[in-house]
Formats: sequence, C-alpha cells, structure tokens
Amino acid sequence: MNHKKLLNLTFWRVVLLVIFVGGIYSSVLRFAGGLGNSTALSDEFPWGLWVGFDVLCGVALAAGGFTISAVVYIFNIERFKPIIRPTILTAFLGYLLVIVGLLFDLGQPLRIWHPLVMWNPHSVMFEVAWCVMFYTAVLFLEFSPMLFERLRLGRPLKIIHAITIPLVIVGVILSMLHQSSLGSLYLIVPAKLHPLWYSPLLPIFFFVSALALGCAMTIFESFLSYRAFGKRLELGLLSELGKVIVVVLSVYLVLRLQDLAGRNALGLVLQSSYESRMYLAEVLMGIVGPVLLLLIPKVRNSHSGLFVASVLVVLGFIMNRLNVSITGMEASAGRSYFPTWTELSVTLMIVAAGFLMFGLAVKYLPVFPPEVKPGQALQEGSREMVPNFFPEPLLLGSKAVLATGALIVFTAVSLSYSGLRYRSVSLQGVAEQARMVDIMNALNYYQMVPDIVFAQAESSPGKVVLRHSTHVDSAQPNCTICHSKTFRILKDPHSKGASVMSVDMHDEQRCGSCHNGQRAFSVKDDCTLCHSSQ
Amino acid sequence: MGIATFNQKKKKGILFDSTRCIGCGACYEACKERNHLPKTVENFLEDELSDKTYSTVKSRNGHFVRRFCMHCEVPTCASVCPVAALEKTELGPVVYHSDRCIGCRYCVQACPFNIPKYEWTKRAPLVRKCDLCAERLAAGLPTACAEVCPTGATTFGDRDFLIGEAHHRIRSSPGRYLDQIYGLEEVGGTDVLLLADISFESLGLRTDLSKQPLPLLTWNVLQKIPNFVTVGGVLLGGIWWITNRRDEVRLAERRTQKP
Repeated sequence: MNHKKLLNLTFWRVVLLVIFVGGIYSSVLRFAGGLGNSTALSDEFPWGLWVGFDVLCGVALAAGGFTISAVVYIFNIERFKPIIRPTILTAFLGYLLVIVGLLFDLGQPLRIWHPLVMWNPHSVMFEVAWCVMFYTAVLFLEFSPMLFERLRLGRPLKIIHAITIPLVIVGVILSMLHQSSLGSLYLIVPAKLHPLWYSPLLPIFFFVSALALGCAMTIFESFLSYRAFGKRLELGLLSELGKVIVVVLSVYLVLRLQDLAGRNALGLVLQSSYESRMYLAEVLMGIVGPVLLLLIPKVRNSHSGLFVASVLVVLGFIMNRLNVSITGMEASAGRSYFPTWTELSVTLMIVAAGFLMFGLAVKYLPVFPPEVKPGQALQEGSREMVPNFFPEPLLLGSKAVLATGALIVFTAVSLSYSGLRYRSVSLQGVAEQARMVDIMNALNYYQMVPDIVFAQAESSPGKVVLRHSTHVDSAQPNCTICHSKTFRILKDPHSKGASVMSVDMHDEQRCGSCHNGQRAFSVKDDCTLCHSSQ
Repeated sequence: MGIATFNQKKKKGILFDSTRCIGCGACYEACKERNHLPKTVENFLEDELSDKTYSTVKSRNGHFVRRFCMHCEVPTCASVCPVAALEKTELGPVVYHSDRCIGCRYCVQACPFNIPKYEWTKRAPLVRKCDLCAERLAAGLPTACAEVCPTGATTFGDRDFLIGEAHHRIRSSPGRYLDQIYGLEEVGGTDVLLLADISFESLGLRTDLSKQPLPLLTWNVLQKIPNFVTVGGVLLGGIWWITNRRDEVRLAERRTQKP
C-alpha cells in the first residue's frame, strides 16, 4: 500500500510539473507577446476566461469563509468552528489567485495599484478593486493565527484574537459587497448581455449563488483533504451544510425564475437556441440537480452523496459565471469566443497552484482540527464512512448517487454540446451591400476645394497652381487618392497661406506618385503643363 | 466648410447629415493625419474602427454613414473606468488620460456604441478612440473631420446650435429627412448628432438603446454602499453583542447554580 501511495504521489507531482511548465511557458508568451497574440480576446470580446473563471469564480471561493465566520463569531453557533479554518484558508488562497489572475489579464499589470490613489467611486470596477485589496488584507489577518500558532508567536496571536470580532464584521461586509459587485459589473450592459442572464438582480444572484458555492467548496475540500492527508470534518457538520445548500439554492432558483417571468423572458428558456440550452444545462447541473439529491436524507447523510452534490454545485456555478461572461455576450459581440491554449494553461496553472498551496497549508499549518491525526484515519480505514473515490469509487450504497450525478453532468454536457451547434454568429447591424450609393442629392452641397498656389522655389521655371477642379472627379469625389499620405489634408496652423512643398515634389512621393507617365502625364514631360510661364 | 458657430464656453458637438455625405473620405484621412495613424486598408470604406482607425465611413443600404465616438453627455466609458482615465470635459470631448489606465478594458466592454478599441498587440497597451480633437477645440479650432468636409455633412459647432440646425433642416425640407435626431436622447444624449432619410437601424446604428444614461444602472446600486456598510456594521455588531451576552449570562447562571 505504501508503495502504491508513493507512486500515486509521484503521478500527481508529474501532473503538477507538466501544468506548471505549460503555465510558465504561456506566461512568457503572454507577457512577451501581449494579450492579442496570446489570447482569443479582441475588441468585440474584451473579457474572456481570465475574467469569467479566474476572477468571477476565484472571488466566490471566499464565500465559505465569510459565511462560516459570521455563523460562528457573530451568531455564536460554535459547532461550526471546526470548519472555519479551512474556509478562511480557501478564501485567502482564492483572493491571492484572483490577484494573480488579474496580473495576467490587466493590460498594464504594473499599474494594479492605481485604483488606490486614482478614484472613481462611480465605477463598479473601482469597488471591485478596493474589495480585492482590502479583503485580501482582512483575510490575511484572519488566516494569520494559523501561521502564528505554528510559529508559536504568542503576542501577535493575542492581538489578532482581540480584534477578531471587528475583523469578522469588516470581512463579512467587504465580502458581501464584493460578491454582489461582480454581478453589478454586468448591470451596465443591458443591450449586450443576453436576457436569460441580464437582470437588474444580477448583484443579488451573484451573492446568493456564492453562498451556495462557499458551502459546496467546504464539503468538496473536506473530502479532498481526507483523500490526501486523512484529515476530514465530521459528517454531521457537512450534511448540515448540505441542508444549507438546499435552502440557498432553492431561494436562488425561485428568484431567478421569478426574475425571468417578471421580465417576460421565461419563453426564451423554451426556445431551442444556443443560449437556452446553456441556460438549461446550468440550471440543471448547478441548481435543480444538487437540490433534488440533497433533499433525500440518505444522500445528504452519505459521504458520496454530499461529494457528488457539492461537485455539481461547483460545476454549475462555474457554468453560470461563464454563461454571464461569455455565452451571454456572444450574440451581441457578433463573434464567438473560445480561449486559446495559453489562456487555458495559465488558468490551469493558477488552479493547480491553489490546490498545491492548500495542500501545503493543510500539511504544515493547523488548518483542520487536531482530533483526527494524519495517517491514523487512513489506517483505521473507516472505509464504510469515507469512500475512496478515485481508484475504486463505486461502493454499494453510493452507486445510485454517483450514477445520478453522472447522469446530470452528462445531460448538462450534451445539452450544451447540442447548444453549440446553434451558435451562429450573426453580425450586428446591417450587412454591407454592394449597391452603389446615390450621391446626386448630396453633391448639391459639394463645394469644390479652392485652388492652391504653391510658393515658387528659385530654380522653378514658373509658379504652380494646383486646381482641385482638375484633380477631383466631380461625379464621385475621393479625397483619399491624394490625401493624406501624399499631401496633408489639414490646414497647417503654423504656415500662413499655401503649403510650401519641399524639393522632392517631383519624386514618387508627391506629384510624381501619379504624374509618372502612367496614371497621368509625367512630371518629366512638358514643364509648362504645370508651371506657368510668367 | 463644415463649421458652424463657435462659442468658447459652450458645449461643442458634431452634426452628421448622412444625406449630404458623398463618401469622399476627407474626414477619414483628416482623422488619420491629426492622430498620426498609419494606413490600414486600401479602400477606406472597408476599414473598421480599431486602435489605428478612430473614424470610419461606411456604405449602408445606399447611404454613407460615419462612425466615431459619440461623446455621450453621461459617458458609460468614463463611469465604468476604475481609475477615471476617461473624462468628460466641459467642452464636450470624452478624453483619455493614458497614464492612469490599468488596462481592465471595462470601457471596451461597456460602451453601448462599441467605440473604445484596445492595442491588443502591444506589450503596454492603451485604449484608443476619437477625442473630438480636444486640443484643437481648446485652441478655438474645429475638429479635423469637420474642417475638411467639402459638403457640410460633418458640421461642427455648439451643441445647442446644432440641435436647432438639425430641426431647421428637418422642417425646411419636408419629406427629405426622418423626423428624428439620433443622439438627442439616446443613452441620455450624445454630443454627436445624426440625421438621415432612412431608418438609423439600416445605417447600422443601435436603436434599442434606452433614453436613460447607462451609468445610472450601476450608480443606483453603488450609491447604497455607504448605507449598507454602516447599517450592516451596526447590525452585525448588534447581533454579536446579543449572542455574546446570551452566552455570558448562561455561563454566569451556571456558575451561580453550581455552589
């Protein structure tokens, strides 16, 4: 068994290494080549995976942290205390990763501090920036006791304990602001975001769904931590979180359906379009599926049931954020977006870094309550209680749950896959027509541009007057033939009177570019054609 | 040429009359020249707005129509910018302070007219768009595009004068124009106004925009924050005080009961 475990670890190490090598290579491409060369972003699609996943989903990782700390410290419900540290750690790491993601996504990452000193309180992004900075600081303070305990630093630990309550209150408020503000970001694009997702309630949707995700991530992590380190949380606590998820998601579902109905957009769900399929897949996987599963006490009280349901919540949540940021914007952008491998591998690297840091923290810091000792749980092998998912996942009791979960995911995937076939890119506005424009009427307003008398150089055989009337096709004037590469079109505010041409007027850059004997008579022909004899 | 009045203190604007446009490209070239932009295409009618082109001329349904920044009265781009890199100036131009920009591209995402463009291929990219020749305006000059327009299709002047002029044109030649000025009310009004004799939609303009300035949508939420923070803080503090007190009392009672 030891041998097997060693192999296992090596396997994951190799995977990590591959991800990091790919991610670092992509980082080089991104920072050396610019956003345009390394991403699928464009003027039509300025926000892609890094905003939709790294930022929108990364921030939501913190939801568990503020919910549980409010429950424990503000409402004094002490039995949730064992969950606090893993959720705070997740939140802290989530925010660190969001900052890393932002450094990749911002066009000018070195100016990331600008919002601190350059204010625009009318901007949601300004609020987002401030929340990121402040809540990262707060989360660090909330996380610091784990460090201080490990380092046996008594004094700072005391200080932190003394300010715990104000810290938690600030954290809860900042976090509520931040979760909702990410939804508010999209309030300003009513004409661009598809009506299935655009809603005046977006800030509330983002906040409520983040609550569910926070609980789901806590369950999810707890199982992964058990897998990796034999550290786990009590099943009772986790199934209580499952109950919370049911309540939160039900409220969320009702709100979203009511909102759709209120905006007369409910019919859009049943249209078989790309968007409707993505919407259905999201709601099925992220809301309906987990609620139905968790409503069954047997499922809620089993490890596999909780695990499957929490995975569904997480996947559905990610899909929601990507639908808002990508799917819902495609029709109005007039083009589809799919991330490049560089975008994907950077994101993968950030996620992997998150797992790695979480793992290291769990290993070296007092994150989980000390009751369950590492190794002990594995040896005692409470196998009936904790299924060993990856090598041999199908325990008798959980077969049905796993199958249901797989079915839900399969349905969601096939829904969105079939939706993709409907993804037709129709350009906004009116297609350009080959029809000639009738300018007869407009030409009535046309004023022939005055003649230009060029100053005469000493060697010149005579004065030159440029007559616009002999150079412009009065039936279809086109100024771009001579302007502005060959001749300036704007008046030179510094010169009085006519523009003065340099000596190279005969060469191919100036008059000679047309007067070359082919398009018009050559400048080397009869001088008097242009130079007056006086 | 395309220059009307000039009162140094009044808000400026542009009136584009698509029925007068002959598609000569003078405005396109003047813009390129003024902004020192490189040549991008052979036929200017095929050019699109980009970081190298701030003003285009398009042929749509037998008409020419210009596209460039509308210089909104309440600009969405300026409202969404977290560092106030975009600013609505008193004379009208929405200008860009490139030294502030962090490159979040929220302006590109939010603009209802899809005007701001990004320098995607640069290592230190900036946002690019028409600035209504702000420094020319300050010097008492018209925009470059208006200076060169040979038909008066692009007219520069005080915004209120241009609105009067537009109404005058509509009234004085009945049947020639749609009785509509695009930009008068769209997203709260723009300093660029358009006249046409076919629907603005068929010219490629969005006609589904609300009359309400878009920044109100987010400001309605943002202005609640100070209240939310104070009320929320007090509420949470209060709840903590109650639950904490309850526990203290319970402990104290237990202590008194024991002996």
